[in-house]
Amino acid sequence: MSRLREIITSTDAELRNQPLERFCASAGTQALLAECEALEALRRASGSLYERVRALFFLSAIHRFHLPGKPGVAAEGRVPFAGYHHLLQRRFEEAIRSFHEAQQSQGPSDAVSSALAAAYKGLAFQTLADQVRRSVRSVRGNQWMFRTGHPADDPLRLRPELLRRDPESGLYPLLSEATPVRMDLSHSGWSDIFFLGMDYPEGARVLNISIDLAVRGLAQSEPRPPVEACLRVIDEPVLRLTSVDLGATADITTLAEVFDFARDYLGLLKAAIIAAGLVPAGLEGSGQSLAELLLVITGLPGHGLEITSKVNDIPKGSRLAVSTNLLASLISVCMRATGQIRWLTGGLEESDRRQVAARAILGEWLGGSGGGWQDSGGVWPGIKLIEGVAAQEGDVEHGISRGCLLPRHRVFPLDEVTAETRRKLQESLVLVHGGMAQDVGPILEMVTEKYLLRCEAEWQGRQQAIALLDEIIACLRTGDIRGIGERTQRNFDGPIQTIIPWAANHYTRRLIERAREEFGEQFWGFWMLGGMAGGGMGFLFAPEVKAAAQERMAVIMREVKRTMDRAVPFAMEPVVYDFEINERGTWATLATGAAALLPASYYTLRLPEMLRRDTRTLTPAQRGELETFGAACRQDPALAGMVQTVFDRMLPTDEAKAGGGARSLEALLREFGFDRVQHEKIRADLRSGRIGLAQNRLAVSSTIEDVSREEVTDTRGGLAPRLRELGEDALRAGAVAVVSLAGGVGSRWTRGAGVVKALNPFAQFGGRHRNFVEVHLAKSRRSGKISGRAVPHVLTTSYMTNSPMVDYLAASGNYGYDGPLYVSPGRIVGLRLVPMARDLRFAWEEMPQQVLDVQKQKMRESLHAALIQWAVSAGEGSDYTDNLPEQCLHPVGHWYEIPNLLRNGTLARVLDENPGVRHLLLHNIDTLGASLAPELLGLHIDSGAAITTEVIAREVEDRGGGLARINGNVRLIEGMALPDERIEFALSYYNSNTMWIDVARMLAAFGLTREDLGNAEKTTAAIRHMAGRMPTYVTLKDVKKRWGKGQEDIFPVMQFEKLWGDMTALPDLACAYAVVPRMRGQQLKDVAQFDGWLRDGSAAYVDALCDW
Amino acid sequence: MRIRKAVITAAAPAQRRLPLQNLINRDGVERSVIGILIDEIVRARVEEICVVICPGDAALYTSVLGDQAARVTFVEQREPRGYGHAIHCAEPFTAGEPFLHLVSDHLYVGPAGAGCATQLIEAAEAENCSISAVQATREGQLTSFGAVGGQRVSAAGSLYKIDTVLEKPTPTEAEQKIIVPGLRAGHYLCFFGMHVLTPGLQVILGELLAADPNARVTLSAALAELANRERYLALQMTDRRYDLGARYGLLNAQLAVALSGKDRGEILSSIVELLAVREPAEAGHAQ
Repeated sequence: MSRLREIITSTDAELRNQPLERFCASAGTQALLAECEALEALRRASGSLYERVRALFFLSAIHRFHLPGKPGVAAEGRVPFAGYHHLLQRRFEEAIRSFHEAQQSQGPSDAVSSALAAAYKGLAFQTLADQVRRSVRSVRGNQWMFRTGHPADDPLRLRPELLRRDPESGLYPLLSEATPVRMDLSHSGWSDIFFLGMDYPEGARVLNISIDLAVRGLAQSEPRPPVEACLRVIDEPVLRLTSVDLGATADITTLAEVFDFARDYLGLLKAAIIAAGLVPAGLEGSGQSLAELLLVITGLPGHGLEITSKVNDIPKGSRLAVSTNLLASLISVCMRATGQIRWLTGGLEESDRRQVAARAILGEWLGGSGGGWQDSGGVWPGIKLIEGVAAQEGDVEHGISRGCLLPRHRVFPLDEVTAETRRKLQESLVLVHGGMAQDVGPILEMVTEKYLLRCEAEWQGRQQAIALLDEIIACLRTGDIRGIGERTQRNFDGPIQTIIPWAANHYTRRLIERAREEFGEQFWGFWMLGGMAGGGMGFLFAPEVKAAAQERMAVIMREVKRTMDRAVPFAMEPVVYDFEINERGTWATLATGAAALLPASYYTLRLPEMLRRDTRTLTPAQRGELETFGAACRQDPALAGMVQTVFDRMLPTDEAKAGGGARSLEALLREFGFDRVQHEKIRADLRSGRIGLAQNRLAVSSTIEDVSREEVTDTRGGLAPRLRELGEDALRAGAVAVVSLAGGVGSRWTRGAGVVKALNPFAQFGGRHRNFVEVHLAKSRRSGKISGRAVPHVLTTSYMTNSPMVDYLAASGNYGYDGPLYVSPGRIVGLRLVPMARDLRFAWEEMPQQVLDVQKQKMRESLHAALIQWAVSAGEGSDYTDNLPEQCLHPVGHWYEIPNLLRNGTLARVLDENPGVRHLLLHNIDTLGASLAPELLGLHIDSGAAITTEVIAREVEDRGGGLARINGNVRLIEGMALPDERIEFALSYYNSNTMWIDVARMLAAFGLTREDLGNAEKTTAAIRHMAGRMPTYVTLKDVKKRWGKGQEDIFPVMQFEKLWGDMTALPDLACAYAVVPRMRGQQLKDVAQFDGWLRDGSAAYVDALCDW
Repeated sequence: MRIRKAVITAAAPAQRRLPLQNLINRDGVERSVIGILIDEIVRARVEEICVVICPGDAALYTSVLGDQAARVTFVEQREPRGYGHAIHCAEPFTAGEPFLHLVSDHLYVGPAGAGCATQLIEAAEAENCSISAVQATREGQLTSFGAVGGQRVSAAGSLYKIDTVLEKPTPTEAEQKIIVPGLRAGHYLCFFGMHVLTPGLQVILGELLAADPNARVTLSAALAELANRERYLALQMTDRRYDLGARYGLLNAQLAVALSGKDRGEILSSIVELLAVREPAEAGHAQ
């Protein structure tokens, strides 16, 4: 029997918990391939969710980490395009079949294994998501909603209390629900991920506290439940949804609109209404009438419902599960109103809380988001232990998974955790929002994967985390708050970072250091909240210094943020909270008569629209509401100033003027030398369709072929010692300078947050977090030490990265680099344009797109429709100016970074100060393995080429062109320029964008000599001439727009760029190509790659090249 | 156990006139609703009948019932304390005996043969316990009925042992609490408006009414308690029940009764004629 199959299916815990690595480390290629076959059979045949998913993760890991590099596995291979297309369409089974056939016919290879790894991983997560969906739908009490297909079938009716209109005011009663949020003392290594709870219920344990909050320094200073939901009947046949904090309101008149989540900011309210059964899920796509449904529910013709949500000043990314608890609050208020919860007002019974939690999970699934099962903890009161539950006979999960979807909540009574302990905890904890708002999604996927592979360190970390949770409970019982601080700190330093190193970051580390420096023994420990650090966080202090610590932490956070806010994506200014433990959980009240008014901020939003209307068009209830609210404004001191607020909102204001301070876009354009003439030409070309995404492509008549082995030099098996010596001599002679391209902002790395990627402290090396620049300088330092000659290092920047780069280098003393260091400032800037609807459609409908999980895909399609609408209404091809000025500009591609070196005098300075320099090593900021390898330098010198480009063997994720023979000439080609995506899959090599450049030959291609570099006029003319020969690409980029309290929207905008790789197409430039190992040539583009990069030896490879 | 007595409730203010409506029965004879119900009860060999009415309605009922009135005892419900209270008003009448109970705003129509009341009484006499007639009902109609959960007594039969009774449950509650194995998804056993009840039920009603002198008491609450104390069964009926209080309820009931009786042909031809009159207009519209 296969050993891995045995591990998966064993009932013996010790055998089952064996790590995959232990077996694979010693297994040969044939043994691994045989295991793959056995696992493939197991995952197809098994009915157990756990067995299938674990077999899939094993398969993925074997192909990703263990087969590549083994003897008998070819370094190069062809990934079939058909399989890749299936993969994008999420047809994983077909993709796997296609890749298997390729493996059969070509023999095992790194390329096909990379594709299989991606397909198996995709299928594993798909299987998990499907199971959660099935479980959520089959939980008793959720099923009926999926069967109700007609309003006449709807079994829900509004409770009569809500239908009694007040004769005086004309208002219907208002049902309000106020819900606390939750903070987790420990989640035992993210054990609240659904799958972990369903597979390892005994290890799924979370300590969770319900709290009320207030942001320090704001007018409202008493902590109160942070989320509120209200429901009332209105005398119009519509569903009126309002999110007070997001400033969004809509009157919904069709069922289709209820199911359209991304159309506006009301997606969460819509998901809640569906999950609460108010609009049963079975009505989606039924074509029935919403008004009819409202009639059935209310029993009153011409009436509808109004549902309002409000978050009290708590910013996004608080790690306090604000959105899940808001969802739960909304669901609870809707379920109370329709009698699905026993009590209309007051608290909830345990069975009702469980029902609300189950519906919140359904709502999260509908909305395409998804947290852990502890997130609706705010529904419960006080401090509780939430644990996984083993599936018993009779449970829908029985026979499918070991645990149930829903956990069990045990609220600690006061005799177990005393009131005194609770008070002490409140007197010690400083709760903050550090300002970072990052997506935890990738972390949750990494945790699931590592758990199933039973990675040795991770598994031990998990066991430690479980033990720590018990210790924390013991501390709660004995009232030892200091002990809690010590353990949450240990949890963060140990298990959390063992499982996911990325959960910690440089910012948090600095905050902890500063807290320790200032408060010494009186700082008791750091407490990570939720999925990762940087947003919501806790710091425990001795009670006597808590007040001081609150003040100081606010200052410290601001100071530390200021030192790194161009390198780390912050969404907002840090804040400190006041908080209280909420001992009653979610709570509802019913207001009638003149008291049935919504929160004041609701009226700020709705009143202007009502006041602009003719009074005769107002309904009786609206008139009654205006009168009642008017009276309240005159009498209630809390509403003083309301009239002014509403008045201000109704008058137009010029936001640009009101904002002041920041540099205006016009000023920036002037400063950066924006070329208006060229811009207008691009706009005209874009609008007329002369340029566009479709026009980036080469003519279909071009002949594009793969290169032959003779056209490249394969360096992976080593090179002749002669070449190495040649290179070493050149290094000793100081013949090479390194040029790191650092002009970009890493749109993919931070999803368009606009921070400088080069300065992002992304990983720990030599004991602390280091950024990309530090890594490259450390390699130059090592190289210089070996050769005995310091290496000149140039960092090219753009308008966006220049001043942060200069500042950070100055502040850090060039990160300790003592060789010659140059910063080459960018001189060219573009202004982004609102995209053409044509190009958006091309990008989303014609280009291969990764299809998402059903519900997420639905969200995306709805979002795409909204964005196309945005482009049309904002004016296609007009200047994109509705954002911070910096976000409206764009760098114009790395082609310009080399001419900049010529034009701004940097190259001249390098050559003057280091007269021995003959060659440049040019590389991207994220190609971390690029180094001054002597043998490659020797090869370049020996070949006599003007440019030697390093390429790597293509794997499935290497998209974006490569090396090809085009109409007979070998050259690099951009993915955008390929007339057909399929062609790319026939190209064996991918461009690493690392190039060895012979300075004299390159200058010659420009028509220049070293001496001409002093002649600005001649240089500029030469550059302009060359630029004319280079193609211009139009691209879509995602740009974040931040607003409100940490809210972010992402817009696709158009920009143009020229790329250096196209230089290889010049017939007068001699180019050579060297195939290098993957670890040297791969680029770290996406956060999702990070964990694999740490695990597959890439990080160690880079570390070995550095001198810290 | 022999069932000699029957109690009909007709005291709900909203339905007090419904039982007095005249329909044409299966035999083509004009009969009031209450008259049709009493005919069915009498066919089931019941000897004494009690009708619980609103104060002052006795004269009306007597005039409508004609010669049937002699068999009937009228009891007034003097306080509006709910359905359970109405039944308890007949407690002196039932006097410690088991009895058949019907609501007065439903008519029952089945294939010719034994009536619903007869089937129910036969089952109760054979099983010697309380028994409620139930029908599998779509969850969309749960807002109108009491519903029960339980297990089938024998694999093939239509008898169920009841362990849970809920009054007008929400579908969420129904899915969680009144599971009946073997029913189609989304269907629940809901009351048919006809029960055979043991004296124990009157005892429970008395207790519930005494526990809170101002509360309204539902029959479902008492039945839920009955299920805890005694063997209590449900008989799944295949006949149809017609709620006269629903929209077009009376019309539907009349059509159902007429189509199952001797005037079937006459009614069908009237319907065809009605359709034919509409046809030219619709055909024109379709073109």
